[in-house]
Amino acid sequence: MYRYFYYHVIYVGLINIMIFVPWTLLQHRFNGAVSAIGIAIVYGTALAYLTTFLFSKFPGLGLADILKAYLPRGLSVLLNLIGAAIWCLAGVLVVYAYSTTIQQFFNPDMNPYLFLSLMTLAGVWGSSRSTRTIQFAQEILLLICAPLIIMILLKAVFSPWLDWNAIRVTAGYVTNPPSFVAFCAASFVFAGCNTLAVVNRLLPAEARIRFKWIIPIFCTFFLLVSFFIPIGFHGTVAVGEYLYVWSVTADSMIMEYGFVYRVLFLFLLLYTALSLMFAMNTWHTAMEFVKACHPKSKPQPDQYPVGPANWWISAVFGVLTIAYALWSNEERNQMVNQNWLIAQVFTDLLTVLLLSGFAFRKKRGQRRSAPAAAVPDSR
Amino acid sequence: MAGMLEEVKRQFEDATDLLAETLDNGYWKMDLAYFPALCDEKIKDGLLVPFSYRFDPDEFRRMLRANPKYERADKPDQWANLLLKGFVLLSIEGECYSFKSDRAFTTEPGTTEIESSLLGPQAAFSEDLNMNTALVRFRYNVPTLAAEPYDKGKYSNTSIIVMYDRELVNSTVLKRLHERLERIRIDLLNASSALIKDLTDRHYRLFPTILQTERPDRVASMLRKGKIVIIVSGSRFALILPVRLFDFMHAMDDEYDSYWINRFLTLMRYLGIFLTIILPASYIAIVSYNPEIFRVQLAFTIDGSRAGVPYPSFVEVFIMLFMIEALIEASVRLPRIVGSTATTVGGLILGQAAQQAGLVSSIMIIVTSVVAISNFVIPNPDFSQAVRMTKYPFVLIAMLYGLSGVAVLFFALIVYLCNLRSFGEPYFAVFTSRIKNLPPRGG
Repeated sequence: MYRYFYYHVIYVGLINIMIFVPWTLLQHRFNGAVSAIGIAIVYGTALAYLTTFLFSKFPGLGLADILKAYLPRGLSVLLNLIGAAIWCLAGVLVVYAYSTTIQQFFNPDMNPYLFLSLMTLAGVWGSSRSTRTIQFAQEILLLICAPLIIMILLKAVFSPWLDWNAIRVTAGYVTNPPSFVAFCAASFVFAGCNTLAVVNRLLPAEARIRFKWIIPIFCTFFLLVSFFIPIGFHGTVAVGEYLYVWSVTADSMIMEYGFVYRVLFLFLLLYTALSLMFAMNTWHTAMEFVKACHPKSKPQPDQYPVGPANWWISAVFGVLTIAYALWSNEERNQMVNQNWLIAQVFTDLLTVLLLSGFAFRKKRGQRRSAPAAAVPDSR
Repeated sequence: MAGMLEEVKRQFEDATDLLAETLDNGYWKMDLAYFPALCDEKIKDGLLVPFSYRFDPDEFRRMLRANPKYERADKPDQWANLLLKGFVLLSIEGECYSFKSDRAFTTEPGTTEIESSLLGPQAAFSEDLNMNTALVRFRYNVPTLAAEPYDKGKYSNTSIIVMYDRELVNSTVLKRLHERLERIRIDLLNASSALIKDLTDRHYRLFPTILQTERPDRVASMLRKGKIVIIVSGSRFALILPVRLFDFMHAMDDEYDSYWINRFLTLMRYLGIFLTIILPASYIAIVSYNPEIFRVQLAFTIDGSRAGVPYPSFVEVFIMLFMIEALIEASVRLPRIVGSTATTVGGLILGQAAQQAGLVSSIMIIVTSVVAISNFVIPNPDFSQAVRMTKYPFVLIAMLYGLSGVAVLFFALIVYLCNLRSFGEPYFAVFTSRIKNLPPRGG
């Protein structure tokens, strides 16, 4: 069922707005963002192809299961915890960013922690479900969101207020040497395939991931849109002034027909779904990493009803989110975001390196035990 | 076996409606026990006539051995059960036999009352188990249709039959069903819905995970999809499992209508669900929290219609929702003759009076009617009830969080539905149909 894989690719590609990828890129728009985007497209595509290829060498196994089979216990636990931290933080950042966005644009009078706790609760509820449930939910939610996504994207691209000259001018800075932070931010758009770390458990052995060209086409499109469209709307200089740049961009569009006038509200409703999907999935992946640290843990991607461990671990992530919100402010949040974007590049690279090593060892027949697939027959 | 009569009389000590006597036709003596109320006229031609004035010992013996309605009943612990199921017990020449003479309470199929259809067959299940089995066999006419009888209910001792196509059925689901049936501890099994409670593992479920239907054609089409059907004696509804959410939204007319009509109606039904869940909550959210979402003219219209309403929007919503729920409940429970009174009075109030009195806004009346009508678009009553309940959490969250809360809760609802399993099979998942993987018949 490789189609589930592409849902992850697509919503991770779309969620970049909530993890301040456009903001980061736009800060470097005159000094290296454009060339960084170019490099990130090539690098991200290559890494995505490599990751999917390597995971296909371990059918039915999640990353945690592979680590367990090939590494000494202490090391695999350490790597699991690093993975859990990275994944969990991604969800925390998005939930925080989205609830502050809502606070600014939707419910300015509301206590910020009130909506944050609602988002957190929904995220915890989603992430504590079984992997298969999450796949189903992701598919349905993305299908429901698809008309909105397409509408907003088309409206943005074909808007008469979009100034193509500003876009051309910015694109002209492609000759500047690439900026590292911008490269990290841009390569996040291609990170969707990393969800295979858990989802690979549900991919049957014979299912090859086909249509891989979807990854470069869609992700490049999302990346270019989220960088260039705000420039087209706000101009090359003014675009750097906004922190929630895409909310403001969405507010630059109106709908002539229909009940709702400002596209902003549709955009925010759409990102409620996308942010929650992202939080659900990242926390679930983090939870699976934590669960895999227990020596007797067995992957159960289709557990029903779910065990209490799911609830407890997800609840801890929820508490961490609230704690992060208490600690954080705009400045600290930006700092954590930038560092997270840099860190994820390294963990992704580490994943690929480890997996290639294991695949090489597997080929040479050096594996210690034959790890069995989690779900032998999964449709 | 001379002790039969005594044993039966001992077990049914105060049951005066039991007929337990010794008949003597001058040649032989026969001990006879049965409940006249549970048995029908077959006993006359099948047993009393051959024993009395057409008596021939050889023929009578031959009849006992050859007629499939007669069976040996040697075990005393079966006797009570046989008598209660409408069998006649007879003891002759030291041998004990049972004679099947149970009365069928209905001899004709019922007519569809709940899942009516325009073009489909109008016959529905009746309350008679044999009739229902016949209706299924008539529509699903293949030798691979398996039927397993069970008796469930400590006090009601209700017969149920599990039917499935043994070539198409999912064996893990069947195994799970057998385990569940083994575990069932139920006192009175009066309706198939009572069985649902014990077959599903959750007592506090909101959405049905087993489909009840009164239509034999739906049962046949589900059997073709490899589903399992349970028919309960004395209930007009068959149970189908495992099912998915989409099966509840499927009216049988969808299979008889033309393609585009069917697509259009299906789409309309899903839109109906969405509206009936979201609309009251959105009304609260938009009026009280985020009026700026709507274009200015519309926001003014809504606010203008609320000009005379003295309290916040959620009070208004609760008043109107209470009215409409009470009206629905009244029209379900009231006898038909009085029923029209309730609808007329309710219609008057819901219609204009409440708005003219300044209790609710006119927009709210539209919202209420859309909610009610959209809810009735759902073809399955079980599912319709579940959806009817679902709008209240949304109303509550809209009171607290406005529209963004409604969006978050909608996400949670989707996850909840995806989280459900019907006998281990996914409940709400798209593009996972098994039908394409099933072998064609004779193939």
